[in-house]
Amino acid sequence: MAELAIVLAGAVLLLSTRTVTMLAAYVVLAVTVSIFVAPTALQSPLSLALFAVSTILKVIVAPLGILVFVRANPQAGNLRPSIAAPARLALVLAFALVSRAAANIPSLAAAPLEDITPYVILCGVGILIVHRNLLSHVAGLLVLGTGVTLAGAVLAPTLPESLELGATFDALVATFIGLALVRAFFARSSVLDVEALRSLRG
Amino acid sequence: MIAFAIAAPFAFALLVRLIPQRSLRRAARTVLTVIAAALPFFCAGSIDRLSLLFAGIVSVLGLLATFFSEGIFADDWTKGYAIWSSKPIYFILLGAFWSAMLLVVLAQNFALLWLGISFTTLATAFLVGYSGEEAALEAAWKYLVLCSVGIAFALLGIVALGHVSIAHGIPPAAALSWDAIEAHGTTGATPLARVAIALMLVGFATKAGLVPMHAWLPDAHSKAPAPISGLLSGVLVSCALYAIMRTLGVANALGAGPFAADLLVWFGALSAVTAGALMLAQTDLKRLLAYSTVEHAGIVALALGFGGPLGWFAALLHVAAHAATKCAAFFMAGIVAQECGSTELRRVRALWTMHPAGGLMLAALAALCGLPPFGLFVSEVLVVLAGISAHRYAPLAFGVLGLALAFAAIARVAIEIEGGVATHVATRRSGRFTALTTTLALCCALGVAIVPWSTLGSALLALAASAGGTP
Repeated sequence: MAELAIVLAGAVLLLSTRTVTMLAAYVVLAVTVSIFVAPTALQSPLSLALFAVSTILKVIVAPLGILVFVRANPQAGNLRPSIAAPARLALVLAFALVSRAAANIPSLAAAPLEDITPYVILCGVGILIVHRNLLSHVAGLLVLGTGVTLAGAVLAPTLPESLELGATFDALVATFIGLALVRAFFARSSVLDVEALRSLRG
Repeated sequence: MIAFAIAAPFAFALLVRLIPQRSLRRAARTVLTVIAAALPFFCAGSIDRLSLLFAGIVSVLGLLATFFSEGIFADDWTKGYAIWSSKPIYFILLGAFWSAMLLVVLAQNFALLWLGISFTTLATAFLVGYSGEEAALEAAWKYLVLCSVGIAFALLGIVALGHVSIAHGIPPAAALSWDAIEAHGTTGATPLARVAIALMLVGFATKAGLVPMHAWLPDAHSKAPAPISGLLSGVLVSCALYAIMRTLGVANALGAGPFAADLLVWFGALSAVTAGALMLAQTDLKRLLAYSTVEHAGIVALALGFGGPLGWFAALLHVAAHAATKCAAFFMAGIVAQECGSTELRRVRALWTMHPAGGLMLAALAALCGLPPFGLFVSEVLVVLAGISAHRYAPLAFGVLGLALAFAAIARVAIEIEGGVATHVATRRSGRFTALTTTLALCCALGVAIVPWSTLGSALLALAASAGGTP
């Protein structure tokens, strides 16, 4: 069930053309991953606290920040995909196939959700490539961070808390600096398209 | 003590902000910056020599960059469009950046090292976009996104490394400690160990600006204020190379040393030749220097890939010499920007006759070309010798080609900007303080040239022998 939710959320992240839809899919993905990761955070009070902060940041604060920006700037609502829907669908299928292949690495065979983790990570990278809206890049980084967190829980659940701290920090960096820069860029140029970021070339 | 040394630059920057009187604030900043720079050296007993070397680079150049910022900080630097474009925020972010780099080089395991690398992105994204101009914001955005992706992959590699370590019987609490992994050792690399090492190398190489993950570097390094450009190019890239060195050590212990060395050699060769070629096409001084950083990072990667004590010694010497030289070059580019109103090459002429910095700029460019008596000359010769002794002739040929292209590009620019007829009237005289600190930075670069014949050289050689025993 959890796997299906993650697969569908990943597909919607790549296929949707509206920022709000993408955000909803991201929240589903992040909540599902958090539910899966939660048992590994019960090792110590510090680990649990870091997990709680990380979850709040990723599941509530970050999407809320993006949503507030979209409400204030309606043109941020369009993700402006750079490739057509059939090509995006093909990309989703390709990611699923690659993830299945990655699960065949002998050292990973015993790990739970071994085929879902690469899928989430690939979806994060895919969002960065497929959508031209700068806000989608913030979401892409969040999905990538979620994928890395899932990998941590799957591969090495007993690692030190500092990795949880790392994941929390990752969310912080991606969201707040990203939003601050998007806000400054939008105030300056009134566009949110990655195509506008082409003055520095060569 | 280590925690205090790491936190000091950031804490002191916050402390200085609380002082209301301007003159007192300036004096306090000077004193506290010196203390912050000295603190890592008191940790010498509890860190290894590799960490100490890099902590020294971070501290000395952090100190110079702070002084230089004070000397060069122009009033119009606070008239930016962005809300973070103010002098107090600038120094607080600079302190945070310095602390983050100390965390990278003083950490004892990969989790904290990664955290430090991640912190550097937080502090410097706003510093890159400091001016608030559209191009600076674009550079900051690319920097944030590409480096975040890179370091996410590094974290993924670190997680996989933890899995491998635990599978080899290392306790979870020590699973990410390079000392524990290297002490434990293994006989053969598992596929997952190779994946972990590859992801870590790719992630840290992104931060080091190695081709093909370099796209953010020329933009970010050329759009940041000059002192920050110096630190980004000279010190942050060195910190990323330090992370690569630690990864290489662990790769050797896990039996993936040759695989990691191959990867580094080709990253290095590709970086040297690509950056060298792109340098020929540059029309902006700071952008040229930024591409030169990619080229030099490539040379260090080549040296590490060649391996052995000679390769490691060359790499360490090159990192130290490049850090000081590149800081000096960017500092002087800052003076050029103030004097000429631009760093576009067509607008910079007759530096030799117009400003004392012209001579220093020529010296810095000569050092970057790898001319004697500068440290980079010695290290580049050693890299070539390391390549020959490792019988890696193809990547070495690419590296040498890169060096030749870079030499041609820098020599052309040096002739253009130092000679000719001035096309402008100097608008502002930078303070003596600025020139002094610039000279100091250059002296560091000059001093490194004699390293092989000094006591410090012997210590570096011993360090290289212990770190790079396995090719």
